[in-house]
Parts: sequence; C-alpha cells; structure tokens
Amino acid sequence: MKQENKIKIAILLGTMCFFLSAGIVIQINTVRKSTTTVGKTMVENELRDSVLRWKQKYENEYELLNKKEQELDSLRQKSSSTDESYKVLTSQLKNYNLLLGNSELIGRGVQITLNDGDSSMFRGNETQYIVHDGDLYEIVNALKNTGAEAISINGQRIVANTAITCAGNTILINGEKVAVPYVIKAIGSPAGLYGSLTIPGGYLYWLEYEGVNVKVEQIEKDTIVIPKYNGVYKFDKATISE
Amino acid sequence: MIYIAIILGCILGAIIGSLSPVIPYTYSSYLSIAIVAALDTVFGGIASVVKGNFDLKIFLSGFFGNSILSIALTYLGEKLNVDIYLAAIVVFVGRMFTNLAIIRRYYIDKWVNMIEKNKDNNIEKKDEKATE
Repeated sequence: MKQENKIKIAILLGTMCFFLSAGIVIQINTVRKSTTTVGKTMVENELRDSVLRWKQKYENEYELLNKKEQELDSLRQKSSSTDESYKVLTSQLKNYNLLLGNSELIGRGVQITLNDGDSSMFRGNETQYIVHDGDLYEIVNALKNTGAEAISINGQRIVANTAITCAGNTILINGEKVAVPYVIKAIGSPAGLYGSLTIPGGYLYWLEYEGVNVKVEQIEKDTIVIPKYNGVYKFDKATISE
Repeated sequence: MIYIAIILGCILGAIIGSLSPVIPYTYSSYLSIAIVAALDTVFGGIASVVKGNFDLKIFLSGFFGNSILSIALTYLGEKLNVDIYLAAIVVFVGRMFTNLAIIRRYYIDKWVNMIEKNKDNNIEKKDEKATE
C-alpha cells in the first residue's frame, strides 16, 4: 500500500516537473525569437560586436597579405636578377598587374571634390543637392570617356568589376562604404580631363546648378596617388573559350 | 524514486519544450504568469515539507489551479484594460520570498544544531576521558 502510494507521488511530481520545465523552455524560446525592444537591442549589439571583430580580423589578414606580397616581390627580384628570361616574365607580371589595377599608381590629372549642398541656401527637393550614386557613375563615365588611366573614389580604385551602389546615406564602392565628401582622383591629361568635365552643359555644370558643392582641381605635378584595388578577381564559372 | 522521477520529468520537459514550436508572442505573457504561479506552488510545497504539513492534494491542486487561475485573471485584466497580471506577479513573488525564507531558516537551524551537537559530543567525550 505504501509502495503504491510512493509510485503515485513520483509519477505526479514527475509530470508536474515535466509541465513546468517544458513551459519554461517554451517561454525562453519564444522570448528569444520575438523582437521585444530588449531583445532587439541585445541582438543589435551582438551584431555590431561581430562586425567589429570581423573587420579587425579582415584588417589583420590584409596586412599579412601585404607583407607576404612584399616578400614575394623581393624573392622574385632576387631570382630574376640572375636569369634573363625571368626578367621578361617579371616585367610581364608588372604589366598585367597594371592592367588589373593591382598596383599603386602616381601621376598627374584632376581631383574632383563633391559635397552635399547647404540645405539653408536651397528650398525644394532635398534630393537635388545630395550626391547620389548616379552622379558618381556619370563622372566616372565622363572620366573614362576622356581617357583617364586610373580612377579612385575616396581611396576605392575603380576597376573592371567595380560596382557603385546606393546604400542609404552612404554609397558602396567595391563593397566598401564611402560617404561625403567624395574625392574622385583621376590620372590622365590634366587639361583634357579638366576641360571635358567643366564644359558648360556638362554633367558637373548641372550638378552645381542643382546645389551640389563641386570643386575640380587640375593637378599638373605627379602628386596624385591612386591606391591599388584590394579586392579579388574570381573566375569560378567562366573558362577561356578556345 | 521520487528524486529520479523529478529529474526525469525536468529533462523530458526541457527536451520536449525545446523541440516544440514557439507560441505566438501575444500568448507568452499568459505562459509567463503560469510559470510564475507554478514556481510559487513548488516553493510553497517545499516549505510545507519543511513545516511538516505537506499534502499532495493541496500541492497538485495549487500547481494547476494557480496556473489556470492566473491565466484567467490575466485574460480578464486584458479585457478590462487593467494590468491584473502585475498584482498576480507581486503576490506570487512575495509568497515565493516568504517560502524561501522559511526554507532557509529551517536549514540554518538544522545546521547550527548539528554543529552544537558535535561540540557537545566532543565535550562529553573529553569529560569522559577526564573522569577516567
């Protein structure tokens, strides 16, 4: 009789504990998945933290890559100094890197600075005096048309697979965020580039007319430095057709 | 036996709870108040065991009855636009603390008694040795 009673108590308490712990776990899961303000800020903080961590990691790796590339360069020079055929290969390599935008360039050209207009001076549509991604395409296009040899916007090199995307109040170039003021540097004939950009009725003319702060400088000395492209070219799906 | 049943119940509950689908957020306030009510009953049960007047029927009816009643009151409060669940939480958590205090006192008393008994035993033994 007593043994039976004990079994009964055990079963009852077990079911009770089952309900209690199941309820607690379901509640925890629900609260975690729902977007309460507390949960939201916590998730946001975690995301921000992880972004920062990844950024730091990326920078470290990038530095390491640069170091290794320098080592590779010095090794190449060492090995090519003895053999004539290697010298040809090295110069070819340099040429290809130049074409791909994988080398830092110095030269003369123009520097264009774009900044959002002052809202107190203009009335009407705000989007008129803000620099948009479309403005950057037009300027890059104009520069390419006039024979610019290398272009960079805020330190981001414009290469064959560069994308310029609107991202709210910033613009993504090569997947990196850039913001006002946009400094566009281009290497090429200073007078030619300057003349074609500032032509009355040209794109910059209209941009200035709408209220954007535009400044175009002609730089005659070889002081414009254009950084190398720090992305990767990937050809996964494409193969060379014979 | 009872302890095994309790632990098994907890583990099974946690597993099934983690596998079961998430309930809508509007109903999670009901579940939370039910959990608080159930926890209050559990602590009340432990306290009554300590006091020596534990009754399984009262315990079980309290466990399920309090949970359902608190859910019903919360629902009513929502209909009447009164935050009744706040009152329920205050009552339940207040009782929880009282029960925890009873449990704590009981165990501290037990502990102190044990230490004193040990001391007395030692003294008696010493006395015995001295008389010998």
